[in-house]
Amino acid sequence: MIATPALALTRVCVALPRGGRLVPVVEDVSLSVAPGEILAIVGESGSGKTTLALAIPRLLPPGAVVTGDIELAGQKLGAMPARSLREFCGAKVGVVFQDPWAALNPTMSVGAQIAEGIRLHLGASRRAGWMRAVELLDEVGIDDARARAADYPHMFSGGMRQRVMISAALACGPDLLIADEPTSGLDAALREQILELLARLRRERRLAVLLISHDISLMARHSDRAAVFYAGRCVEIGGAAEVMRAPLHRYTVALLRASPRVGVAPPAAIPGTMPEPESFVPGCRFAPRCAHAAPPCDAVTPALGEMAGHLSTCVFPCVDGAIVQSAGATLPRPAGRELLRVSKLSVWYRHGWGGGAARAAVRDVSFTLAAGECLGVVGASGSGKTSLARAVLQQVAHDGRVVLEGCDLASLRGRAGRAARRRMQLVFQAPAASLDPVQSVGAAIGEALLLGGWRDARARRDRAAALLAQVGLADSLLDRSPSTLSGGQAQRVAIARALAAEPVLLVLDEPTASLDVSTAAGLLALLRDLAGRHGLGYIVITHDLAVASVLAHRLALMRDGRVVEIGETAQMLRDIVGSTSFSPLDRPMDA
Amino acid sequence: MDVFKSRLPAFFSLALLILFCAAGPFLWPASPTRLNPDLALAPPMWTHPVGTDELGRDELARLMRGGRETLEVAIPATVLAFVLGVAYGLLAGFAPAFPSRLLMRVLDALLALPTLVVLLCGASVLPLTEVSVCVLIGVTGWFGLARLVRGEMVALRQREFVHAAWQLGAGPLHMARVHFLPNMVALLAANGVFLLGDSVLSLSALSFLGLGVSPPAASWGSMLQSGILLVDIGAWWLILPPGLLIAAALFGAASLGGGMAREAAR
Repeated sequence: MIATPALALTRVCVALPRGGRLVPVVEDVSLSVAPGEILAIVGESGSGKTTLALAIPRLLPPGAVVTGDIELAGQKLGAMPARSLREFCGAKVGVVFQDPWAALNPTMSVGAQIAEGIRLHLGASRRAGWMRAVELLDEVGIDDARARAADYPHMFSGGMRQRVMISAALACGPDLLIADEPTSGLDAALREQILELLARLRRERRLAVLLISHDISLMARHSDRAAVFYAGRCVEIGGAAEVMRAPLHRYTVALLRASPRVGVAPPAAIPGTMPEPESFVPGCRFAPRCAHAAPPCDAVTPALGEMAGHLSTCVFPCVDGAIVQSAGATLPRPAGRELLRVSKLSVWYRHGWGGGAARAAVRDVSFTLAAGECLGVVGASGSGKTSLARAVLQQVAHDGRVVLEGCDLASLRGRAGRAARRRMQLVFQAPAASLDPVQSVGAAIGEALLLGGWRDARARRDRAAALLAQVGLADSLLDRSPSTLSGGQAQRVAIARALAAEPVLLVLDEPTASLDVSTAAGLLALLRDLAGRHGLGYIVITHDLAVASVLAHRLALMRDGRVVEIGETAQMLRDIVGSTSFSPLDRPMDA
Repeated sequence: MDVFKSRLPAFFSLALLILFCAAGPFLWPASPTRLNPDLALAPPMWTHPVGTDELGRDELARLMRGGRETLEVAIPATVLAFVLGVAYGLLAGFAPAFPSRLLMRVLDALLALPTLVVLLCGASVLPLTEVSVCVLIGVTGWFGLARLVRGEMVALRQREFVHAAWQLGAGPLHMARVHFLPNMVALLAANGVFLLGDSVLSLSALSFLGLGVSPPAASWGSMLQSGILLVDIGAWWLILPPGLLIAAALFGAASLGGGMAREAAR
């Protein structure tokens, strides 16, 4: 049976105005989504996946040019006048964005917001709109929907807010749901729940879903088919499981090898960076970064060709599978001297004024860390990981003792306290925010040196250049402003600044969470390398077990502020992944 | 800067005012103090474009001199208020929770005082010299700025680069110099301009009430006041020009400062 596809794209190109001229951001994409099917579009930032998705309901910025045919439920959009096009798309396409917080109006109750769309598009009465909104909230799994419809967006948790967004997208009974990174702000357990919700909706409503994400392994498990995008082109498309198991295109292979996964060899970085749309060249755009590239690659613009059941544009497709298995590849725990001893650490947060109810964010946590050792702290969001790190760093008031190199940090005041602080450095999740926007890269690293007593400006600059080299950056970056750096570069600068203080302990808070897969793989390799060279102790905070398994010798699992289990990484992974005694909320996993 | 483009009238009116006060006496050589009883209260004419006052002094020359007197007091007063406001704001921002809260409640109390009444009280007690008036206006003008600086610091303190600098062992002075103040430059510039407008207004109000700089030195405010006394005989040229100049200074400062604040918010 060949039903009319819910969405059919034929040779779609999108050009966006940038710096006074049009640049091609998406080129020559043809694909279709059947009713009741989930198609995942996978790619790193800059691959054009979001631009393509926004081109379908015409949500692109003014000046954008879309060519090619977009067919929605059998109707060609190109032939429609602008006004009816907007109404048609509004009714037929639902869109869910990455950040529900930004997409919801904080001054309207969620019920009123959903009802507004129903009244605008379907002409329902106020009362009927509200009733429909309650039904929709119930459908997406909001408990007690009747009462909660009157609540405002800030009264919902992150996962619930995303459900509200989905119900708003479903308000007019669309044929197609476009979900742009719907789960990237959520922790693993909530991520699974949202994706399960999408799967249920497409079953029950025969909804076609376009699921856009940078996370290839997550998408493969929750979609029927997957399309891999690179630099504005679809380079591979096929059954999701098929693409995962036997990827054809060399980029897909590299992307899979760069994604950290439990029980698999450490991620391998992809050398180089994705080209900007301004500098697109003919031929395969991955060729400059590809180890298998040969003359025909940069000569002809490749077309999708079929092989082994799915399509790819690769001239030299991969035939031997992508994944190098390596069960239990845990690093041996170094038997160095004791670096850090944390005993009976508790952190209390008080709410409201004066003696309001106090809530323990961390309770009675004890552990030790040897020099050169990496401890992974894993757990769902809200389990107290970050509070624990901030207490170890003496950034928040706490009970219990933190002993660094035999010295109780609580007993240190003034100059000695400051010197002790420098021994422990911190690398943040959002690299851009961790650099002062008014400081150049050189000034940021120089500041770290100056505070360590480097008085001579010339020596500081040389040392800063050497530190940049250590983290794999050129010294031409010294005079750049943080806003001109990519995420990966900014994170490396933040690490260089931390190293400038010559620390013995580095606390990494979700160091790769905001980076692209290939960038993250490079950063993980760098961190492993630095640990080996400097004998640094690491505490890595993450909700991603795969990242922890790449770096950590031992894992500590946190729940409700307590460390519920701590042990060797390999053993812990078997326990957490394999056992059913952990509730789904404990499983910060991506196996 | 874009501010100057978007707030062109404000920029021009301020620039013209300063030019008027600073360079005016060279372009218009008439003396502001030479008495000419034969020509008292003359309406505007070719030799006296803005007329003369009750003692026959040239009004245009007096406006230029008065503007200089006004700015000579208002600018140092603004600088004083600026320094006090920034210092108090930083102090409240760095202080631990309880002292910080105390400092803010004190500030709330100060903000609740009606500025004009405080100025009048001060002016009735202090001997009126240029320095004392300047100090008086400076000391009563910084409350709002302190509150803004402290608020900005609270926001900046949450930023990760501030945590990073703290972890690097930075002390408060270093933090203020390297991170806090440079990140509030736009806010400080905008509010510095606002403060200048406030100082001109305070000085004009004091002078109008006879508590400003003492004669023979005249400021726009005191000129306005002496003009008001003669309103019965219809000497509008003694009232309108100083009033318009004060209004132009306030408009210029408010509009330019507003433009800078908007730029900063982007």
